[in-house]
Amino acid sequence: MSVTSPTVAPVRFVRPSLLRRIGKGTVRFVRSSPLSAFWGVIATSILLMALLAPEIAPYEPLQANFRRMSRPPDGTNWFGTDQIGRDTLSRVIHGSRASLTVAAAAVLLGTTFGALWGLASGYFGGRFDIISQRIIEFLQSFPDLILAMAIAMALGAGTGTVIIAIAVTRIPFGGRIIRSVVLSLKEMSYVEAARSLGASHMRMMVRHILPQCIAPYLILATTHLGVAIIIEAALGFLGVGIPPPTPTWGNMLSDSLNAGLVPPWWLVLFPGLAITITVLAFNLLGDGIRDMLDPRLRGAV
Amino acid sequence: MYSYILRRLAFGAITIVGVSILVFVVLRILPGDPLVAIFGADGFTKLSEAERAGYMKALGLSDPLWLQYFNWVKDIARGDMGRSFFRSESVAEMIMRRGPLTAEIALISVVLSWVVGIPVAIISALRPNSIGDNLSRFISILFLAIPGFWLGMLIMLGLLFWFGYRAPLAGVSFFVDPWSNLQIVLGPGIVLGLGQAAYIARMARSSLLEVIREDYVRTARAKGLSGRLVIIFHALPNALLPVITLSGILLGFVLAGSIPVERAFGTPGLGFAMFTAVNERDVFVMQNLVFLYACVFVVLNIMVDVIIAWLDPRIRYQ
Repeated sequence: MSVTSPTVAPVRFVRPSLLRRIGKGTVRFVRSSPLSAFWGVIATSILLMALLAPEIAPYEPLQANFRRMSRPPDGTNWFGTDQIGRDTLSRVIHGSRASLTVAAAAVLLGTTFGALWGLASGYFGGRFDIISQRIIEFLQSFPDLILAMAIAMALGAGTGTVIIAIAVTRIPFGGRIIRSVVLSLKEMSYVEAARSLGASHMRMMVRHILPQCIAPYLILATTHLGVAIIIEAALGFLGVGIPPPTPTWGNMLSDSLNAGLVPPWWLVLFPGLAITITVLAFNLLGDGIRDMLDPRLRGAV
Repeated sequence: MYSYILRRLAFGAITIVGVSILVFVVLRILPGDPLVAIFGADGFTKLSEAERAGYMKALGLSDPLWLQYFNWVKDIARGDMGRSFFRSESVAEMIMRRGPLTAEIALISVVLSWVVGIPVAIISALRPNSIGDNLSRFISILFLAIPGFWLGMLIMLGLLFWFGYRAPLAGVSFFVDPWSNLQIVLGPGIVLGLGQAAYIARMARSSLLEVIREDYVRTARAKGLSGRLVIIFHALPNALLPVITLSGILLGFVLAGSIPVERAFGTPGLGFAMFTAVNERDVFVMQNLVFLYACVFVVLNIMVDVIIAWLDPRIRYQ
């Protein structure tokens, strides 16, 4: 009697292609929350609008037309024209570029810096952590907009300075949340195992702790986009944003107040509507992403 | 309790020192040349070498940085906070004149945010996922996305368009002429209050839904109390703790938010002064106002922490 050992087919883990994984993730996202998916579509169309602004916009955003000054909306200029005859629709479309680039760059920059800082201070602890916590507390003692205003004023007007000003206000959030995630991860047994195997600090942080921080990082970044867009608009409105003639939603609203004693309604309505719809879309998309990636973080970020 | 308050105050003092250093670094060290900040790049090139040195000396800018910082602290301690570069009024006088309007706006908005936010949250939490709940949630999400200053401009335009009404432009004290004073502060107060009410309603709803699941609430219901009574008298008091903390944080949002909102309404308050200072590149006024706002924010948050500790003994004894 020969005993034949059962043959086990070798199990091979085949990682699906990136495209496939993204596709599956999207399907899961749409199924789990159709409403967020709807706002995701709107957010995507706003992104496309920003990318294709020169193709979509009916007129040049900087082209003055002195025959059609301060006209209310009609068939030629759907959103009306401003006091020197520039087309409001084209300016709103082009304004999305400034708004989205600044918000995205600022949130990425600020959250990334904050997250790395939080990772280091949570991992190393000790005096470095205490000092970091104090500095973050100082940063948080300023209301966001006021700190951003002070920095933008100190550095002078420009796209880069607005990005930096908003990014600095995002650092504390990244720092605090990633630090608390790292503190709880540090106690996990798999991290302890890696440590007992003699892994270096760098390896521990990059290979074992960082991957677990990606979900909270993504959630932070998406939920803060909306706030960043509003701060950018407020800075533009207060005259410390991207300076004219580059159209931004904030400086368009500011211009409308300078247009005369009574600002024409179409110059006020449309840029503000653009801000509101964009922020709404990104907020709801962010909520959906958060619920999918990590429902426990509901309310924490 | 006293030791808790003392500890909190000590931390607050450290924070304020840190904040003052941060303000100084951002506004006085970063800009490179403060004269460029004051005169602009064009104006600066037109000044002669001697004029530049003269201005630097007059403004105390040729002193070493630590001495400048020390002088600023001395100005604050003396209570006049130095002078604006463009106006004869001292910064302290400006704050005394304009501050009350902004404080009124903040007060109105906080009261309004509670008066609107809490009932909305109760209605939502009584029947979660009902039509009323979904509607109120959508409206609060909408208000989180609307920039306050834009809403302010729309309200102002609407009043002007349909009623031909415009709020008086000059700032008057409430005690001199309550009616025209209210006309100035109500608009900004309402706009900022609605913005905060959205946050309050969201937070109060989720916190209520959490508390409702606790045992003591179930006990109250088992005794035979109606759902409404249980929520209002048993669940609400405990659910309000996180809302009070949030309200403190939102005060920062009001202080900052009042700057663009006051510009939208043309309110002659402190926020408008900040807007003017930024556009005139008045570093000295800006530095003092930013520091003032940060201090107010820190002090308010200490007060909120103390209130929370007083309401919730678990925090006091940590």
